Amino acid sequence: MRNLRRVSQILFFLFFVYLFIQTEYKGRNELGLPVRLFLDFDPLTALSALLASHAARAIFLLSLITVGLTVFLGRFYCGWVCPLGAINTALGYFRMQALKPNRTEGRYPGLRPLKYYILVFVLVSAVFGWNAVGFVDPISLTIRSLAIGYNPAINKIARSVLEAAVAAHVPAVSPAIDALYTKMTGTILSFNQPIFRQSLLIGLIFTAILSLNALAPRFWCRYLCPLGALLGLIGWKQVGARVNNDKEKCISCRKCVVACQGDATPFPPGEWASRECLVCYNCREVCPVDAISITATARDTGDGNVDLARRRLLASGVAALVVVPAVAAVVQRKRTDPSLIRPPGALPEEEFLRRCVKCGECMKVCLTNGLHPTLTEAGLEGLWTPILVPRLGYCEYNCNLCSQVCPTGAIRPVTVPEKQKIHIGLAFVDKNRCIPYAFGRNCIVCEEHCPTPKKAITFLEERAIDEKGATIILKKPVVSPELCIGCGICETKCPVLDRPAIYVTAINESRAQENQLFL
Amino acid sequence: MLDRRRFLVGLAAGAAGLLVSRGKLPAFPVPKSLKPGANDKGQKSEIHTMAVVKGASPELATRKAIELIGGMGSFISKGDVVLVKPNIGWDRVPEQAANTNPVVVGTLVAMALEAGAKKVVVADNPCNDARRTYVRSGIADAAKSAGAEVVYMEDRHYVKTNLKGEVITDWLVFRGAIEADKIINVPIAKHHGLGGLTLAMKNLMGVTGGPRNLMHQRLPESLVDLGAFFKPRLTFLDAVRILKANGPQGGSMNDVVQLNTVAASADPVRIEAFGVTLFGKKIEDFPTVDLAEKRGLGTRDFRSTGFIEVDIG
Repeated sequence: MRNLRRVSQILFFLFFVYLFIQTEYKGRNELGLPVRLFLDFDPLTALSALLASHAARAIFLLSLITVGLTVFLGRFYCGWVCPLGAINTALGYFRMQALKPNRTEGRYPGLRPLKYYILVFVLVSAVFGWNAVGFVDPISLTIRSLAIGYNPAINKIARSVLEAAVAAHVPAVSPAIDALYTKMTGTILSFNQPIFRQSLLIGLIFTAILSLNALAPRFWCRYLCPLGALLGLIGWKQVGARVNNDKEKCISCRKCVVACQGDATPFPPGEWASRECLVCYNCREVCPVDAISITATARDTGDGNVDLARRRLLASGVAALVVVPAVAAVVQRKRTDPSLIRPPGALPEEEFLRRCVKCGECMKVCLTNGLHPTLTEAGLEGLWTPILVPRLGYCEYNCNLCSQVCPTGAIRPVTVPEKQKIHIGLAFVDKNRCIPYAFGRNCIVCEEHCPTPKKAITFLEERAIDEKGATIILKKPVVSPELCIGCGICETKCPVLDRPAIYVTAINESRAQENQLFL
Repeated sequence: MLDRRRFLVGLAAGAAGLLVSRGKLPAFPVPKSLKPGANDKGQKSEIHTMAVVKGASPELATRKAIELIGGMGSFISKGDVVLVKPNIGWDRVPEQAANTNPVVVGTLVAMALEAGAKKVVVADNPCNDARRTYVRSGIADAAKSAGAEVVYMEDRHYVKTNLKGEVITDWLVFRGAIEADKIINVPIAKHHGLGGLTLAMKNLMGVTGGPRNLMHQRLPESLVDLGAFFKPRLTFLDAVRILKANGPQGGSMNDVVQLNTVAASADPVRIEAFGVTLFGKKIEDFPTVDLAEKRGLGTRDFRSTGFIEVDIG
């Protein structure tokens, strides 16, 4: 069974990576694949979004499958399915091998309640309107960390190696690698080298979480993961697979204790903690005397579940009550940040924040690498939610991929024609920097790229003298606030490379009545 | 009037007129078949320097136009690596007339291969996302099924090249454009906010990388620099549908006019000048034509000699 569990972990992890890689434009308007599937099956994401937004979505029903199986099997999801669990299992493997049964190192039983307090904190926060679950939900955390932190680095490393091999001009080898490189681009590697703001920070946080495996195997899963906590509470009866350590047979060798992935204390007999059990089958496999059985009919398994101190649970809830208003009382609530340009289809800000789980799917899928995680633009509660940074990438006129991948409807599904009418901001010409205005030379790259059928950027024609003294017709760009949808391609393409001469801010966005420019 | 008369007479005068024009146009490459003695079997009336063909089928019109200027064999040699450079600039469908007609591209690819080309590459450096433009323009499919190698211009495919132009010197250029034995430039006739129109030479911006938006500041000079450096063997203008306003990417069907016309010539300036007339504009208002002519890239006087216009229905 342990090997079966390992195969399951590997397959689910590969499936997760496959979906992750497929979270990219593949030649069709519709992605075709349910790339956010792991989020759809995540009951914590659904519950938190439900509590925060009071809006149920049909897709949340999928997570009930996970809940149903958990009632029967306990935290099998952690042991058999979770991609972060798989990574931690692999990284924690060697640590686990080094543990000695007669020592207490590598285990922190006292920390086990911590994840429940984290769970209570995020759920109470959700009730009061702050959807903080995305910071700590393992699926959101993993997708975001891979998309924003690891994927750019992996791509950069792979590309550097391949480029060096191509540039070496080794006969026969370099051309073959060149061809291979082309095949890998847009398949295994991203089509364009991804670049994200806060890449390093988000990557380092994930690295730190993975490094905890050095303290204890699956440290995150045992002591921190709120999804694990939720599943533990749902499945504590674990009616389908209960671990029983036979008192008569047990020789107290403690091998099962150090092999236990969840710190679920299969020894001493009667102390098994069902909420901590990841159904990994390690205990049964390592038991030298076959004292341990895992069956639906097992009796007498006892209850070693740690008591969740009511006072601490309450404290977590109260902490949320204090923190929620504190993070909301930021300046962004008084004045919208001009660079808070949300993707088209994003709900009004308040509702958007209640739903967005910061999973980063929209940023991963964005065709132009224009969506980036916020730092301070949306306040602390909106940390790592998506904004368009038009200097780095624009919103492609005929694309609605971000609305296709959003798991919680923070970006509601919009058709392409619908999307093309949504104003996400408005372009402004900086006349002090715009080449025709400031220097009397023609340019109008912005007008050329403006995608609306009736161009939102037109130009005033004016007679002028050029640098050689000849009379020219100077074309000065002008933006129509009625036609401009704020897609930002003008800013992306503006040849004034450092600080653009045309730029987009969030004002005039369709979703916010309170953020309009005109009467 | 002189043009018209010369056109009518020219059909019969054929080779003689061509020889005269050839002397005037040193930079304008003359197909092998037009060289003295190449057409001595009474075929002189079938060989032209420029052909305009109108026809409901873009494929047949394309084939006819190439045939009228001497057949693909007079431009492409056996074993050539050919770059067919359409406009794949925008995330638009063929009906919106923002990119070159895919059937025209596919037909030219097929004809180049029929003429013995070893490899035909189709590529562009688009303004919108390359994956979307390649698909939505219909060009990737059409070119692939015609046998072309359709490639994206990836970062490592650009090489710094001295274009030896008047305004454009060191610039990043798509390697395929330099390595190709022949370039067939296949623009679509469109309105453009700055250039007024985008025709033959503007399309060559698509083989450059780097901060090419800067070229807009001296657009006619830059385009002529590109034309002079790349010297496409053949310029083929797609005017099956033209975009009359809100170019170069359009989007509204109200701005599209179906002309069912294509034009072919080895002389890009003739194509450029002819393109201007499609929009009812005056050639002298287009400095690119003037500069290109002065640089010796060809003649604006496209009806002068060897011009033929046919309607194949």
